[in-house]
Amino acid sequence: MPTVQFGHHQVHYELTGEPGQPVITFLNGLTQNANLWKSYADYFVPRGYRVLAYDMLGQGRSSKPVIDIKLAMHADLLDHLLEQLDIEKTHLASISFGGIVGLDFAIRYGHRLHSLTAMSTFAELTQQLDLLGAVMLQGLAEVGLPYLQSMLYPMNMSSDWIAANRERIPAMKRAGYIGNDGYAMQNLMESFVEFQPLTPDLHKIKVPTLIMNGEFDFFTPRECHEVIRSKVKNSRLLIIQRAYHAFTLEMPAVTMRQLEIFLDQVSTKTWQGDQSVWIAADDPSAEVQWLPCAGDWMRAVQPATVPPATKAPARRKAPTRKKAP
Amino acid sequence: MIDPALYDQARDRIAAAGFTPEIQTKITLLLCTAKNGNLMFHSGVQWMQNLNVVQQFILSQYSRELEAVTLLSRTTQWSKDPALAMEGSRIVAPLMLAWGQIMLPPGPMLNPQAAYRGISLGHAQLARIRLLPVIPENADPLNPFVVALQRIEQENGRMLQTQIRLLKNIATEIPVEEREALVEQDQELVDGVFNDFLNWLAAP
Repeated sequence: MPTVQFGHHQVHYELTGEPGQPVITFLNGLTQNANLWKSYADYFVPRGYRVLAYDMLGQGRSSKPVIDIKLAMHADLLDHLLEQLDIEKTHLASISFGGIVGLDFAIRYGHRLHSLTAMSTFAELTQQLDLLGAVMLQGLAEVGLPYLQSMLYPMNMSSDWIAANRERIPAMKRAGYIGNDGYAMQNLMESFVEFQPLTPDLHKIKVPTLIMNGEFDFFTPRECHEVIRSKVKNSRLLIIQRAYHAFTLEMPAVTMRQLEIFLDQVSTKTWQGDQSVWIAADDPSAEVQWLPCAGDWMRAVQPATVPPATKAPARRKAPTRKKAP
Repeated sequence: MIDPALYDQARDRIAAAGFTPEIQTKITLLLCTAKNGNLMFHSGVQWMQNLNVVQQFILSQYSRELEAVTLLSRTTQWSKDPALAMEGSRIVAPLMLAWGQIMLPPGPMLNPQAAYRGISLGHAQLARIRLLPVIPENADPLNPFVVALQRIEQENGRMLQTQIRLLKNIATEIPVEEREALVEQDQELVDGVFNDFLNWLAAP
């Protein structure tokens, strides 16, 4: 099991692909681990990349400190890991909890990046996120890890995915229960107590940045990604159609294709970071993959402009109720 | 670190054999040793000076560990095979030894290092000894032993909050790195015992 020492902690990692090829590093969400990027390695390695995935502190087979993990420590750890593996620069693709680490890394260690992909993430806690985080932590502490797991499936995945995988969910929960430790997850969540918004420093991110957000992600909705888009000049926002929070797991083919296009643009220097907003094609084999977004991307509905002469449809009058005797 | 394959082997064994008296006895021997060690420690520290609000949590954990031991002991269908008790004692010996060291005179009430170690070992036990993954899908959810295991594991998660808060916030002169190292050391100890235990549980 390949590991790197970070202070007195062990960090488990998986590095696949030929040395000398450009590296893509993947950063996990809160309850994820390095194994979940295996299909991404299978996709990108034959396309000439090396893929690095690792369990962050508190996850999977890496050390799970009890006492303290500062949020900033995760970006420091990534810098150390790249150093130990002799990787000077990497493309960084990060999701959710890992997305915050990715943003922090791009702010403080931008010189180590070719590009940044920030998926389903946020730079500051909105009021909704703050309360959601608090209720997740409460559930974990007062009811337990199985409760948090049960809560995360409907928050992360679509009804279609749940319907298709309903039978497998107990086995997936069991595997997650074995691989994760409630106290370690709690420690990661409690590191947000001292979380300072990254928004004031987002302008320091200079590398090409692709921001990806699921169309129906209600956990980290559009407003979270809009903050990043509006502050990072060299960015584009790409909306994944009909996707929820964990689209890297639910729609890997679509995600890999979008990532591949972005990385191609960066390596061929055709990337245009103009803060524009795009919609990813549903079909990863479609000829045109990025469709311009018409209308207000912050809205869930697009009201048509009503010409002033048009009469509003007549409303049916509610029946008057007779007074009870 | 606990090998995930061991959970599968133990679960498959229980799925095939059912919760036999031998399997129930093995589980109860492990859990009761762990809980009796934690109980002994809590009885030793509950009257420490300046505990303030923590005293309530310590007394509460003491009572809940006592409940868990009682619940498990009365729902277990005990095996009559004394060899099980002997092999069980061998497997849990490192835990008994560690608790014994913590309780050595002058005891945790007067020895801050031993008090910290007791909290740390209690944390490792509550966090790492987890038996829900060995309960097979075909187990009767109303089987009293299965119900007891589920309740105990859920309660372990709640009780663990006391250890987490104390490990993070206790006023101590032990530096953070040393404390983390101590906690990791105890986790390795508990993981070693639990790995051995899962192997034993999976054995025919």
